[in-house]
Amino acid sequence: MDQFRRIQTGKTGDIHMVLFKDKKILDDTVLDEIKQEINTLLGKCTGPDVLLDFGNVEFMSSAMLGLLGQLHRKIVTGHGRLKMCNIRPEIFQVFKLTNLDKLFSIHKDAPTALATFT
Amino acid sequence: MATESPGTAAGVDVLVAEDSKIQARMLVKRLTDAGHAVRWAENGADALTMARERRPDIIISDIEMPVMTGYEFCKAVKTDPALRSVPLILMSTLSDPIDIIRGLDAGADNYVTKPYEPDYLLGRMRSLLDSPLGDAAEQATLEVAVAGQKFNVQAGRQQVLNLLISTFENAVAKNQELIAANQELSIARDRLQQNNAELTQLNDEISRRNAQMVRDLEAAAKVQRSLLPADDVALAAAEIAWRYVPCQKLAGDFLNVFPLDDEHAGLFVVDVSGHGVPSSLMAVTVGRFLTPKVSDQSLLVRQGADGRVVIATPAEVATQLNRLFQADEFSGLYFTMLYGVLHLPTGRLDYASSGHPALLRVPAAGDVEFHGAEGFPIGFVPDVEYAQKTLQLTPGDRIYLYSDGVTEAMDKDQEPLGEQALAECIGGSRARPLEATVAGLLETVEQWCQPAGPLDDVSILGLEWRPSR
Repeated sequence: MDQFRRIQTGKTGDIHMVLFKDKKILDDTVLDEIKQEINTLLGKCTGPDVLLDFGNVEFMSSAMLGLLGQLHRKIVTGHGRLKMCNIRPEIFQVFKLTNLDKLFSIHKDAPTALATFT
Repeated sequence: MATESPGTAAGVDVLVAEDSKIQARMLVKRLTDAGHAVRWAENGADALTMARERRPDIIISDIEMPVMTGYEFCKAVKTDPALRSVPLILMSTLSDPIDIIRGLDAGADNYVTKPYEPDYLLGRMRSLLDSPLGDAAEQATLEVAVAGQKFNVQAGRQQVLNLLISTFENAVAKNQELIAANQELSIARDRLQQNNAELTQLNDEISRRNAQMVRDLEAAAKVQRSLLPADDVALAAAEIAWRYVPCQKLAGDFLNVFPLDDEHAGLFVVDVSGHGVPSSLMAVTVGRFLTPKVSDQSLLVRQGADGRVVIATPAEVATQLNRLFQADEFSGLYFTMLYGVLHLPTGRLDYASSGHPALLRVPAAGDVEFHGAEGFPIGFVPDVEYAQKTLQLTPGDRIYLYSDGVTEAMDKDQEPLGEQALAECIGGSRARPLEATVAGLLETVEQWCQPAGPLDDVSILGLEWRPSR
């Protein structure tokens, strides 16, 4: 299942689990690759349920928010759900500064997040 | 093959004296491949024993060997009545004319220089076997001068002739090899010159294109600078100071401050995500909508029904921008903005924020305050209404708008500068002129980011409200 460079993927029921492998999501190349890999993973799914796990991420540029925004839009338009978990405080600050903590569904850890998908 | 009887047309009995095992093995292989029976000795002494055991048809000997050198071995063969008519080829590097004398003196029949061409060696062997030396070849003492020295050499005339001719032939063969090598070299040199010319041409092309790109970038940077406050911008009741430092030639940040009408000033800082060309293109596109000139484009001002200028509220501006710029159309680029409209006579500041860092207020007296307004970045959520807040300034109050390049500036341990440090820096410089506080903040940011320097665009816009009354 480990076919990607930037993300590790799995499935719990119908929920796509995406774990970011990188500690730093800062430069454009990494960002582009993450975007491509998620697109490949979700492919033609319309409105999938997706859980993004930020457990490894220690540094993240605000450009990543743009990617999350696009992903969010795409999933919600198809009546799917996008949730995020394991965001450490420094990274959460990036969400908070831009008010996006109020747009995205952010949870403490994977089990808590998974429980909210029902 | 080794059992082939000596004297047949192709195969003869060859004795090889060579101390290098590798060279001996190569030589033996070539000779056996050519159909000869080959015996091999590791030095002259062994070779002499073997020659005496069974007289070979021809001997090939190296010169540098332990126990007995090639010269000594040769001399021994040539003074042995039973062996002296056996042709002997010396393998020499022929690096010194004295070698020829030594060979003559030793009675060698032929020289083949190392490294040798197998065909050349086989050819030499054939010609020696075809013209055998008579046992009766007369001996004479020849006086030879080489390199200013006289040598007395004992050798038969036929032998001397053979050896000298072989030396000459060898030299001719080497010369031909040299000529061929020279030709190859000259071809290679021509090719190199041609490649060099092509490289130079390519380099010129790269330089040309690079210069073009630099010109284009500079032109683009100039367009972008047009988004910044005019040199002569002056507000009736406020002083302004600003700094704008793109981390690359082109930036995603821009800021401006200008009069909207006689009583109002508009001010903003915009931060497009990312940096470089794509962000800058979007910044320029956004900038065209944020103009104080009444036009179809401007989101800030429009012509009212009565012909008067109508100023849009900050919330209206943010909501409109969000309608115009949805992230999908811009490949994930979005922007944050803090836009304020200051009523110059009363000091009432209306502002809206779209995911932008809070503005900083430094009262004429009292502590520094952060004032944020909720709102998503532009481009994230379609059809949201942005909230608007109001801040009442008192005379002498300063406000600072900035991009997250200030608060999120990272030191070498990836520690952000943060709001606290920002407040301390600006608060601590309250007594200094506005211009100095803005310059000081930029310096703080740049210091914090040492040694790498800021990795994001840095924008700072400061305003001090000083009503005339």
